[in-house]
Amino acid sequence: MASIEFRHIQKSFGAVDVIHDMNLTIDDGEFVALLGPSGCGKSTSLFMLAGIYLPSGGDLLFDGHRVNEVEARDRNVGIVFQSYALYPHLSVRENIRFPLRLKKVPAAEAERRIAEAAELVQIAELMERRPSALSGGQQQRVALARALVKDPTLLLLDEPLSNLDATLRLTMRTEIKSLQERLGVTTVLVTHDQIEATTMADRIICMRDGRIEQIGSSDDLYLRPKSLFVASFIGSPPINLIEGQVENGRLTLGECTLSAGNAPIGEVTAGIRPEHLTIGEEGLPGRIVQIEPMGREILYVVDTGIGQLRVLEPGSTATHRSGEQVSIGFAEDNTLVFDNVNGERIADARFSL
Amino acid sequence: MERRRRINMVLFLGPAVLIVGLFFVLPVLVDIAISFTDLGRDLRVTEITTDNYERALGFGDVRPDRQLPGVIARTVIYVGCTLLIFNTTFGLLLALATTSLPSGSGAFFRAVWLLPRMSPSVVYGILWIWSVHGGDTSLVNQIMMGVFGYEKPIDLRQLYPMVVIIIANGFIGASFAMIILTSAIRGIPEHLYHAARCDGAGSFALIRHITLPQLRWPLTYILIWQTLSLMVSFEYILLITGGGPFRATTVYAIFIFQRAFSASGQYAYGAALTFFLILPGIVLALFLWRVSNMRKLMQQPRIEVH
Amino acid sequence: MADVASLAAAAQGQEHWDRLAARSARERRMRRGFLYVFLILASLPVMVPYFWLGTLAFSAHLSGVDTRVLWPSIFILVPSVLLTWLWAIAARTPRQALIGWAVIWVVAIAIFAVVVGPSLHLGNFRFLYNPNFNAENENIVAAEDNPGFSATSFPWVWTAFANSLIIAGGATLIVIIVASLAGYYISRFQYRFRTTSLAAMLILHAFPATVLLIPIFILMWQLGLLNTLFAIVLVIVGIELPFAVFIMKGFFDAVPWEIEMSALTDGATRRQAFFKVVLPQVVNGMIAVSVFVFIRGWEEFVFVLVLSTQQAKWTMSLYTFFVVEENSLGVDYGLVSAVAVFYILPSFVLYTLAQKYLLQMTVSGVKG
Repeated sequence: MASIEFRHIQKSFGAVDVIHDMNLTIDDGEFVALLGPSGCGKSTSLFMLAGIYLPSGGDLLFDGHRVNEVEARDRNVGIVFQSYALYPHLSVRENIRFPLRLKKVPAAEAERRIAEAAELVQIAELMERRPSALSGGQQQRVALARALVKDPTLLLLDEPLSNLDATLRLTMRTEIKSLQERLGVTTVLVTHDQIEATTMADRIICMRDGRIEQIGSSDDLYLRPKSLFVASFIGSPPINLIEGQVENGRLTLGECTLSAGNAPIGEVTAGIRPEHLTIGEEGLPGRIVQIEPMGREILYVVDTGIGQLRVLEPGSTATHRSGEQVSIGFAEDNTLVFDNVNGERIADARFSL
Repeated sequence: MERRRRINMVLFLGPAVLIVGLFFVLPVLVDIAISFTDLGRDLRVTEITTDNYERALGFGDVRPDRQLPGVIARTVIYVGCTLLIFNTTFGLLLALATTSLPSGSGAFFRAVWLLPRMSPSVVYGILWIWSVHGGDTSLVNQIMMGVFGYEKPIDLRQLYPMVVIIIANGFIGASFAMIILTSAIRGIPEHLYHAARCDGAGSFALIRHITLPQLRWPLTYILIWQTLSLMVSFEYILLITGGGPFRATTVYAIFIFQRAFSASGQYAYGAALTFFLILPGIVLALFLWRVSNMRKLMQQPRIEVH
Repeated sequence: MADVASLAAAAQGQEHWDRLAARSARERRMRRGFLYVFLILASLPVMVPYFWLGTLAFSAHLSGVDTRVLWPSIFILVPSVLLTWLWAIAARTPRQALIGWAVIWVVAIAIFAVVVGPSLHLGNFRFLYNPNFNAENENIVAAEDNPGFSATSFPWVWTAFANSLIIAGGATLIVIIVASLAGYYISRFQYRFRTTSLAAMLILHAFPATVLLIPIFILMWQLGLLNTLFAIVLVIVGIELPFAVFIMKGFFDAVPWEIEMSALTDGATRRQAFFKVVLPQVVNGMIAVSVFVFIRGWEEFVFVLVLSTQQAKWTMSLYTFFVVEENSLGVDYGLVSAVAVFYILPSFVLYTLAQKYLLQMTVSGVKG
């Protein structure tokens, strides 16, 4: 087990800079997720942790020791790839034995540890099969067993669930989470799926274009996003964003003017999540143009004077009809205001009707 | 419908079947037929006979061809050495080495090794003659005498003729293996290497545990195919040593060629000897078909109309 | 489970990790160095003879082998290449690299021009414009105290060139048409002997046709085709067809069925769909197979030697062969080299240009 620190880490491939000045501390036993769209540098960061890529600048510390140039084979990290990367010519047992074989672990101890790992991920009955004869979920478990059998200092998961179907993904999410809690191994998960990140990780690192955009709990990212990017990347259905101007404490959005307490003057983007809008008697007048039942909620798309808004109402049957004239209300506390110049949220700015 | 199906078959498959029949099936039959005649230099058949087989194998009081045991032994040495040293091992080393280097350097060395392949055999042959002949102007002698201070020129074609033709053929075979194995190595998913390195594998362990197991099928393919080509090809031997000196490089294929086309014109005897080569040829080619993955080759057609 | 590695690491701290890092770096350096040494040493026996061939073609004179150019050229070339390579590692920016390389090569070319330049000439290529070059050779060689020497009269090189072109081109054309048709049928149609026909192609492509030299010779004699270019075209078509069908089938396999299905729903017959929709998808395959067959036809030696004896039917391979025969004892290295360079050039150019396509072919050939 180990604590990890990225200190001014940079990584470039040839002339292309992929990671710029990354600073991050991960505590011993913590489960963190690197979240971001593809190409944001999250996999590169993971591969640097594994020792597959070596950093171009800065320091990478394991338990306070610099390990920049230490190669993958000496780092003792367990890694599960998106494609699982099981060795196709080896049986499940041989796959799990592989890291022990390279470490020259004595046979008896190796057998014991293989059995333990197999027990942990419940694949004891698959041990003699070839990877090609396994389902996606089973391959996933074998990959986990192979990563865990060497008692890794650090467990790395690279999009481990993205090749599984929806139901299986749900099960594996819970299983991996509880496994990690039981073993207490420091774990880094790379994912582009916010649900995966929020359900599994203690802490989420949201990345964009090789930079850390925000670090925090899922509440922090959802309710208190630091930037327009985080606000729009997190949340489904996505947040409502409307561009406008602030002047004399008034926020102009489309045809409407709202009051904007202490927001500074300038170009801004106003944001509010669909579930924070309510359809009621008072508020912004609008007309429902589209209704999408989503199971436990109904999504209404409403044309208003400030633009099209998505409104999420609880319930499984629609209580309004398409074309109906409605009014939309919201609480000031749930509103967000972003500075259009640097994309950052203006911390205490709110707006109201 | 049925008619269109038949017309399509003839239209698409007909020409290929015709050519294959004319150049593979018919010659095999012709060869067997000729081998039971006394077809000679005058290209005339006077009798049907089993003389040719008796002459090769020996029956009753006819002694078997005195040269054959030597020829067969040389063929085994030639095919075996070329195959094991160059067409597989050395080709594999080239592929592994060039794929481990940065892509630019790797491509440079692969291009160098493509030169023998790109050269017409006649040109490749003359280069070898110029390199190893016995005069003091050959490349080898320039180096031996100029750098290593040899007094007299050496003639590698006299001293080690078999070694010369094994290396000459081996260079060609090595480049063949190099091309195929390079693309096979490139086709191995990178994440397998990543996984193995995280599992503690160094450079040699990567080759031993990841690369080599993945190259099993291409290597089998190369082994069988090159055995076949080496058994029958004699172009480079003909050009470089002509089978000599004193038959030292007369392998089976060039032996047949000499019986039939160099002066003696023993077509019928050559045909009988050829028959012994056709058999292992067919067997090995069939074996290649067995080890190749049938299911992967044939996907079920998804359009039923013709 | 006690973790041995991390306990040890914690105990020894930074030194432990530094030792591991240093070991890795050392191994990386050693591996790289070893690979370069191995490849350079292994490649020398290939590089030097070809380089010699090139220098001879542009420098050798009649009656005598010339190495005045070979070694000086190598002494200039090798350090230049090494410097270029070292500079590629040392240079910090692309601009710096370019300037450095320019300096290295300007100096190298200048030294080359001074040391080797005066020896270079194009006289060895006289066979290209002088059909009677060999008779002139005879006079010169005979005059130099070789009274026994008598030169063969050669056909003009362009006759051989044209013959080779006809053979390679003709074979390519036939093979590509026949192989496209058959490859498509095997890949896309359901019929009784489908597996058998594919098996036949795979087996035949491995079955070496040179073994059938004698029966093919007899057949051609019976058909009255000896000494015709057509016979050689036919033979090359026959030899290369199974492989070509096999490769084309692989390329057809990769064409999505949906393309053909939509053509059929748009009212095309399967024949029309083949010509208008599927064929354009496999152009890469057709290029690869064409180049491959063309080079094979261009190089063919044994069958030409056996099937044609008239000088008017000589191909480049026979032409080169007899030029070599005549001069194998070192009468005119320059001429032989020049002919060889002239002969090798088309293969070389085609190979280089079509490298991309040929690689695709090898891949499907093996994986197939």
